[in-house]
Amino acid sequence: MKFKLLAQSVLIGAGLLMVGLTPAQSQTREESQGMVLLRGLPTLDTNHSIAIVELDPESDQFGELLSEVEQPDIQHPLHHLYYSPNGRLYSTGLDPSCSLAEIGLSHDSGGTPVIEGFTCLDTQGQIVGEDIMWATSNGQEYMFVTFMGGTGGDDGGSVGVFDTQTNEVVKIIEARKSQVGEGEPYIMYPHGISAFDDRMVVTSTIHPDMTTGVGNVLTIIDLNTLEPIQNIVVENEKPLDFPSSPVEVLFARPDMHADIEPAILANTMFGFETWKIPYDAGSKTFGEAEVIYSGVANETAVPLEFYGTEDELFISHGLPGVVKRYELAALPELVSSGPDIVADPGAHHMIFFTSASGRDLIAVQNNLLNLGNAADDDPTDVDFIADLNAHTITIHDLETGERIAEVNFKESYNKGVDNVEGLFGSGFVHHH
Amino acid sequence: MLRVFLTAAVAVMVAATAWVFWDRARGSTATPIAGFSAPFVFGRFAVPPDNPLTEEAFALGRHLFYDPILSGNNQVSCATCHMQALAFTDGLAKSPALSGGELEFSSMSLINLLWGQERFFWDGRATSLEAQALMPIQHPDEMDQDLDALITELQASRDYRRMFRKAYGEVSAENVARALSTFMRMLISTDSKYDRFLRGEVRLTAQEEHGRKLFMAHPDTKVSLRGGNCIDCHSQFLTSGFRDALDGFSNNGLDSDDDLPDGLMAVTGNPAHKGFFKVPTLRNIAVTAPYMHDGRFETLEEVMDHYNDGIVVSDTLSPLILEADNAPEAGQNTVGLRMTPGEVQSIIAFLNTLTDEGFLTNTQFSNPFEGDG
Ligand code: HEC
Ligand code: HEC
Repeated sequence: MKFKLLAQSVLIGAGLLMVGLTPAQSQTREESQGMVLLRGLPTLDTNHSIAIVELDPESDQFGELLSEVEQPDIQHPLHHLYYSPNGRLYSTGLDPSCSLAEIGLSHDSGGTPVIEGFTCLDTQGQIVGEDIMWATSNGQEYMFVTFMGGTGGDDGGSVGVFDTQTNEVVKIIEARKSQVGEGEPYIMYPHGISAFDDRMVVTSTIHPDMTTGVGNVLTIIDLNTLEPIQNIVVENEKPLDFPSSPVEVLFARPDMHADIEPAILANTMFGFETWKIPYDAGSKTFGEAEVIYSGVANETAVPLEFYGTEDELFISHGLPGVVKRYELAALPELVSSGPDIVADPGAHHMIFFTSASGRDLIAVQNNLLNLGNAADDDPTDVDFIADLNAHTITIHDLETGERIAEVNFKESYNKGVDNVEGLFGSGFVHHH
Repeated sequence: MLRVFLTAAVAVMVAATAWVFWDRARGSTATPIAGFSAPFVFGRFAVPPDNPLTEEAFALGRHLFYDPILSGNNQVSCATCHMQALAFTDGLAKSPALSGGELEFSSMSLINLLWGQERFFWDGRATSLEAQALMPIQHPDEMDQDLDALITELQASRDYRRMFRKAYGEVSAENVARALSTFMRMLISTDSKYDRFLRGEVRLTAQEEHGRKLFMAHPDTKVSLRGGNCIDCHSQFLTSGFRDALDGFSNNGLDSDDDLPDGLMAVTGNPAHKGFFKVPTLRNIAVTAPYMHDGRFETLEEVMDHYNDGIVVSDTLSPLILEADNAPEAGQNTVGLRMTPGEVQSIIAFLNTLTDEGFLTNTQFSNPFEGDG
């Protein structure tokens, strides 16, 4: 217990283990390397780790881990990686001792990228870090982090506002449903986050223990006051008989493409839907929420992430494990721009890059959550998601979607793969 | 007696030959640079596989860089035109030529050369540091040294023989180039105020931050976004150049078609490259005056005046410059950014955050023949 408390403050790389670095490869192309968060599988006796993996199928080192730092002392793994606008790398985390961390990267004298370790940041008690975005409030830029567990409790959840230079908590945005008045806006289990002008949106997903409660609203935060001002319900079909559990959001906005009319898009993890909520920037009001994609009608489930390139928007659907693609310029409408990219169950995060010969590629990480499989007697298994963890990254031709190669982390490293980002920059143009 | 003497002489000769042979054949005992770690934000770099960064090569390169033995008259060293306190420039518009008069170009700052570059010199005529390093040595107006003569001189020095042996094995022109390149690759600057800002260690002042935003922004009057547009060309401003062969060359509007120098065209033969020069690093820019390939501007104010309303139009002028205008309605007497004096001062304040005092005084990069060498 004492250790937990201690670890909760700043834990600099203590107990870190540098393992198995391949010899210096001075001529490698960094653009095809991915930063991945790997999850130790309890039944296979492996540790969580942060690693750099080569993802270019044309490379001799395809699928190899070029650098890896393990986290033997952390029970739950790190969760999502994000680069700050100044190029610093952060990760949210599921373990209460490390809900948010900054990761140190450097190059050795041969030019090989090296993960130096990570520093857990003080979140002032906010736990289960999910998404990060950098946005401006009154002319000052901050790092906003959603904490699905917030400061604890049955209806917890917070948005942490951090100083971008010092990583210190500037403010905790919290509004418990049980404490705000009837009909007043609340924040509960926030996960997805996006913003446009002076409006930020977060989702209400699910209590981190997966049983206590599930959300069905979006919360709008006024970036001038950093206070929640409105809830918007996004719930219709209930194929699982659960609340809809909105997960990732994207505030589609003109700076992504000049033709875009601003609107929030939100995926509901248990409703299997994509919602659109139009926004009128003049009056600062939101219109009717409407379903623009139905998983039930289209035989897909668990829609997750939004990622954009210069001209397309990609949405991952955990089941059957596909990435659907749309015209970026047509947003907020979803106008298909090509056939589905067929990945693996759990299709989730993705990055875009080119191969050594110049072929445009997309890599899809296929694992819904940082959870194991019942078949392996994994204690972290949750029934519903048993089929959603392929533990792979599949590589596809971006133009045709053709599947070219895969890295199976479970087979190769006895680990799951929870997140992927480009090593050098983020690997995509739009995400939040 | 004679026999004994002869035997002894033979023995000595055998020993001597063996020693020479051993000396040559021993090869290097070079060790990788200890504790090397380069900031990730500068991006990827590549060291030639046949010239890894080692302590011994660095020590040798540093001695060579500061040693006038490299010149024909034994009076000029690389450091004559590349002085550490001036970020390895010489403070002159154009460096002096051995034959009297001046060289065609202004000396270039040597800093963070590890990153990327595939083209060196203002007109890009060298394609690697190793290729570049021997050029000033042989140039009749720079160091005017015959390479064979140089190798003979270096071989005569016990210290150099030892340093070459440890670093590479033998004394050769190729290894001179390698060692100089290693020294220059290790001229790494990572501690300007702006670097510390990127690492989250300090804050910029409001003026510096304003300048940073302007530096990074392309002006767009439609959405009333003001910008200095510098990043469009100077995106590698923290390091020293671009990795993609000819990407880092452009015409930034210094001269009219009538007196436009050849620039990159002299190397590629492509008329579209006439007047193109290398976009240089902006690190330590506050101490590397005068500016541009011919040192025509004395101060950063003059540089900014140029970009603000002194652009000279020519056929190959960069469209990025032509398009960047903060006040297109203001009439077309001049071409430039047309920013306010306050905005110009902010950009200069930002440029001043790029000075790395620690680098300019780092004793590891100083003259090893003086002081604590
Ligand atoms: C007489 C003055 C002088 C001497 C001596 C001199 N340089 Fe230079 N250096 C210059 C000038 C002038 C330029 C720009 C020349 C050009 O573009 O043609 C330059 C450019 C360079 C560059 C290109 C930098 C870049 O970013 O492209 C390098 C590297 C360099 N010098 C290294 C050296 C080395 C190593 C030596 C010693 C072997 C040396 N110089 C000796 C004047 C000198
Ligand atoms: C179109 C591309 C382009 C743009 C835009 C541009 N530059 Fe440059 N810059 C260059 C080139 C090319 C040179 C070298 C030109 C030469 O010497 O012939 C240069 C040189 C300089 C130098 C002198 C460097 C030295 O070592 O002598 C400074 C300082 C500078 N630029 C600052 C800026 C600033 C500040 C901005 C924005 C206000 C800017 N530049 C915008 C291309 C550009």
